[in-house]
Amino acid sequence: MAAVEATVEQVKKIDVDQYKYGFETEIESVKAPKGLDEDTVRYISAQKNEPAWMLEWRLDAFQRWKTMTEPTWAKVHHPKIDFQDQYYYSAPKKAAGPKSLDEIDPVILETYKKLGIPLKEQEILAGVQGSRVAVDAVFDSVSVVTTFKEELKKAGVIFCSFSEAVREHPELIRKYLGSVVPQSDNYYAALNSAVFSDGSFVYIPPATRCPMELSTYFRINEKNTGQFERTLIIADRGAYVSYLEGCTAPMRDENQLHAAVVELVALDEAEIKYSTVQNWYPGDKNGRGGIYNFVTKRGDCRGHHSKISWTQVETGSAITWKYPSCILRGDHSRGEFYSIAVSNGYQQVDSGTKMIHLGKNTSSRIISKGIAAGFSQNTYRGLVSAHRKATGARNFTACDSLLIGDKCGAHTVPYIEAKNSSAHFEHEATTSKISEDILFYCRQRGLSQEEAVALVVNGFVRDVLQQLPMEFMAETQKLIGISLEGSVG
Amino acid sequence: MMNVAVMKTKFEQSLTEQFNHVSARLPGGAAVGVARTAALGRFSALGLPNRRIEEWKYTDLRNALKEPLAVAVDDDTKVTVADLIVALGPLAHLEGPRIVFVNGGWRRELSNLEGAEGIEVAALGATLTAAQDKIGEALAGTTGPDNDAVLALNTAYMTDGAVVRVGDGIEVGKPLLLVFMRAGSEGRFVATRNVVSIGKGAAATIVEAFIGLPGSTAEGQHNSATEIHVGDNARVTHVKIAADTGKATHLSNWMVGLGAEAVYRGFQLNQGLGLARNQIFATYHGEGAKLDLSGLFLGRGAEHIDTTLVVDHAVPRCESRELYKGVLDGEARGIFQGKVIVRPDAQKTDGKQMAQVLMLSPDAEFDSKPELEIYADDVVCGHGSTAAELDTDLLFYLRARGIPLDTARSMLIESFVGEALDRIEHEGVREVVLDFARGWLSKLGR
Repeated sequence: MAAVEATVEQVKKIDVDQYKYGFETEIESVKAPKGLDEDTVRYISAQKNEPAWMLEWRLDAFQRWKTMTEPTWAKVHHPKIDFQDQYYYSAPKKAAGPKSLDEIDPVILETYKKLGIPLKEQEILAGVQGSRVAVDAVFDSVSVVTTFKEELKKAGVIFCSFSEAVREHPELIRKYLGSVVPQSDNYYAALNSAVFSDGSFVYIPPATRCPMELSTYFRINEKNTGQFERTLIIADRGAYVSYLEGCTAPMRDENQLHAAVVELVALDEAEIKYSTVQNWYPGDKNGRGGIYNFVTKRGDCRGHHSKISWTQVETGSAITWKYPSCILRGDHSRGEFYSIAVSNGYQQVDSGTKMIHLGKNTSSRIISKGIAAGFSQNTYRGLVSAHRKATGARNFTACDSLLIGDKCGAHTVPYIEAKNSSAHFEHEATTSKISEDILFYCRQRGLSQEEAVALVVNGFVRDVLQQLPMEFMAETQKLIGISLEGSVG
Repeated sequence: MMNVAVMKTKFEQSLTEQFNHVSARLPGGAAVGVARTAALGRFSALGLPNRRIEEWKYTDLRNALKEPLAVAVDDDTKVTVADLIVALGPLAHLEGPRIVFVNGGWRRELSNLEGAEGIEVAALGATLTAAQDKIGEALAGTTGPDNDAVLALNTAYMTDGAVVRVGDGIEVGKPLLLVFMRAGSEGRFVATRNVVSIGKGAAATIVEAFIGLPGSTAEGQHNSATEIHVGDNARVTHVKIAADTGKATHLSNWMVGLGAEAVYRGFQLNQGLGLARNQIFATYHGEGAKLDLSGLFLGRGAEHIDTTLVVDHAVPRCESRELYKGVLDGEARGIFQGKVIVRPDAQKTDGKQMAQVLMLSPDAEFDSKPELEIYADDVVCGHGSTAAELDTDLLFYLRARGIPLDTARSMLIESFVGEALDRIEHEGVREVVLDFARGWLSKLGR
C-alpha cells in the first residue's frame, strides 16, 4: 500500500502550473469582431480573398450549424460555451507572405525556439536521423512560413496552407473538401466549416513517396481566439505520406475553444500515416482554464488496398473530444489507430476511434492506452462496425487503462457491430493500476520507486510509441514525462 | 436536432388506456394502487424506449412493439396437468417443488409445492391482496431504475408471480421451479413480478421458466421482473429458461442485491423468442460478495435477443464475472451490453466480462457494447467481446479425421456453448438447459 500512497503523493505534487510552454508572445494581430453571425463568416472569407464558391460553402455550413445543438453524449463536463463570446479570426499583422525565414518576425521565431522547433536549424540541418521535416507552422490562424517547399515541389507534392490551396488549387479543394467530413457532420465540424481560419493542404501525386515527413505546428496564441484549422490530405494512387502534427499553447485563464477538422483521402494503394502530439494547456491545478479541444478527424480509404494510420499522443487540453476514424470503403483497405491519452489534474479526455468496414476483406487494428492520474477522467469510446456487404472484415481492438491515484476515472465504451457472419472481431480491454508485484520486483533489483513507475508506464505505452515517426519519439517521451511528472520521475 | 413532440404509438396509447378498464381487477390494496398509477404515469411520460435512448440503441421497442395486445387479468384459459408436462419438455424431469402461472395468473392445481421444506412460496396476487399496504410500500421502493418504461409497465400491470423467502441459514437442496406459461388462442400482454429474499447464510436454487403451450397462438408479450435480495453469506443459483416457439416478446428485468460475502450465480437461456430484452441490474451492498452472470442466446429467423447488464460495484472487495455466448443463424440479431461500474471507494474490485458470438449465417448480426466505468484505482477489470463464424480449420481437422460435416459442426457449436453452460452449478438444472439447447441446435440447417 505504501507504494500507492507514494504514487498518489507524487501525483498530487505535480504542479500543473509548471506547464513548460505557458508564455505569450506579444505581436500585433488583426482580429475579426467578437461574436459569430453571417457577417463574421463573410469577414473571414474576405480577409482571405476567397472566391465566391468558398464563401458560399462556408455560409451553407453556417446555416446548418445554426440548426444543430451541441452534443452531450461524451463523458465530459464543462460550462456552456458562449459562441458569441469568441473571436473567430486572428492573424499576425506583419506576416504577409514571407519568402524566407529572414522575413519572419523575430519574436515569432523566438517563440518557436522556446517550443523546441527551431525552424532555421531545421532548414539548415535538414532534420535528424537523416530524415527531413518540413514545417508548415501555424501561428494562431495564418500560416507563417513554409519550409522545404522547393524540394517538395520537385517531387510534385503540394504542401501549402489551406488558404493558398483555395487560391492555387481550387479544383482539388472543390473535389475533396467536405467529402470525408461533410459540413453538417456534427456540431463542431459545422462550426469549423463556417469559420475555419487556416490549416494545411497536402496532395501527393500518383505513385509518389513523399520525400520527407511533413509536419505542422499549431499554436494558439491570441487571447480568446478560437482556432479552427482545417487540414486536407490527399494521397493519390500508390502514394505515401507521413504527416506529423504537434501542438503547444501558452498559459491562459479563460477557456479556449478549438474545433479542428482533418480530412484524409487515400486512393488506390495509397497510404497515409497521420501522427499527432497534442500538448495544449490543460488548465491549472484547480482545473481552471485550459483548452477545449473538439476535433473531427476522419480518413477515407477510398481506393482498394489503401491504408490510413492514426497515431495520437494526447497529453494536453482541459477537454479532449476527439475520434480519429477510418472509413474502409475500398476492398482490402486497412485502418489503424494507435493512441496514448494521458490525463492529469482535472483534465477530461473522451477519445477513441471509429472503424467503419464497408469494403470486402478490410482490416483494422485499434491499440489504445489510457493513463489517468490526479482528478482526471479518461474515456475510450470507439465503434467497430462491419456492414452487410463487408465480407471478410477483421478487427482487433485492445484498450488498456492505467489508473494512478484513487480520485481519477478510466472508462471504456466500445461499440462493436458485426452485420455479417464473416466479420471477425476481437475486442479486449483491461483496467488496472500498476501492479504492486511488478513494482516490488523492480525495486528489489535496485530501481527507485520513480524509476520503476517510469519503466512500467513506458512499457505500457510502448506499443503505441513505436508507431510514431522517429522525429516525434523523443518529444513524446518528454511530453508524457511532463504530464505525469512526479509519478514517472 | 430539433425536439419534436413525439406522437404516442398505438401500443403506448393502448397500454395507457387499458389501465382504466382493468385497474379495478388488479390485485392489491390502496398503496399498491397508488404505486400502479404512479408507474403508469411514468410509462405514459417516458413512452416505449427507442433508439434515441442510449441504453436502447440496438433494441427499439417503439418500433418493434407495434401491435398492442389485451392485458391479461383473471385469465381462465384451460390447461391440464398433462398439457403442462408437454409444455415443460425437459423441465418435466426436474425434481423439486414448482409453482405455475398461466397467462400471468397463479394455478393452484398445476403447482406442487411438496418438498419445499425451509422455503416459503406464495403467489404475489394473493399476497398483495392479503398483506394490503405493506407490500405496496415495498413495491413503491423497488430497486430498479425509475426511468425504465418496461419496469414501470410491469409495476402498473403485474397480476401475479412468486413471493419466495428462504430463512436465515436454511439450505434448500432441490431447485424451486417458477413456471410462466403462455396459453390460449389469443395473444395477451402479461406482466408478472417475483420477489425473492434469501436469508443470511442460506442456500437455494431457483429456476424461472417461460414457455408456451404447444397448440396455442404464437403471439404473446410477457413483461417479467424479479427482485432478488441475497443475504450476507448466502449462496444462490438463479436460472432462467426462456424457450418459446419463435414469435413471442419477452421483456425481463432482474434486480439483484448482494449482501456481504454472498455468492450469486445467474444464468439465462434465451431461445425461440421473437423479441427479447433481458436486463439485469446487480448491486453490491456488502463487501466480499461474488457475482457470476452467464447466459446463452440462440437466435434464428428474424429473432432479436438483447442482453443488457449493469453491474454496480458500490462497495470494495467484490468480484464479478460475466460470460455470455450466442449462436445466431438466419437473420437473427444478438445484442450484448454489459456495463460494469466501479464506484470511487470500491477498491480491490475484480471484474471480468466476456461475450462471444458464433455467426452461422451471413445475414446474422451481433452488436456488442461492453462498457467499463471505473472511478477507483486499485482494481482489476477487463472485458472482451468476439464475433466470428465457425473456424474452417477446426472443421477441416475434424473432417480429415472422418467426421461428417454436420456432426463436426454440431460438435464445435456444442463445445462453444458448453463453456457458458458449465457455469450452472446445479447438475440437474444444467442438464435441462443443455437439453433445451440441444433441441434448438438439432434444428439447425446447414
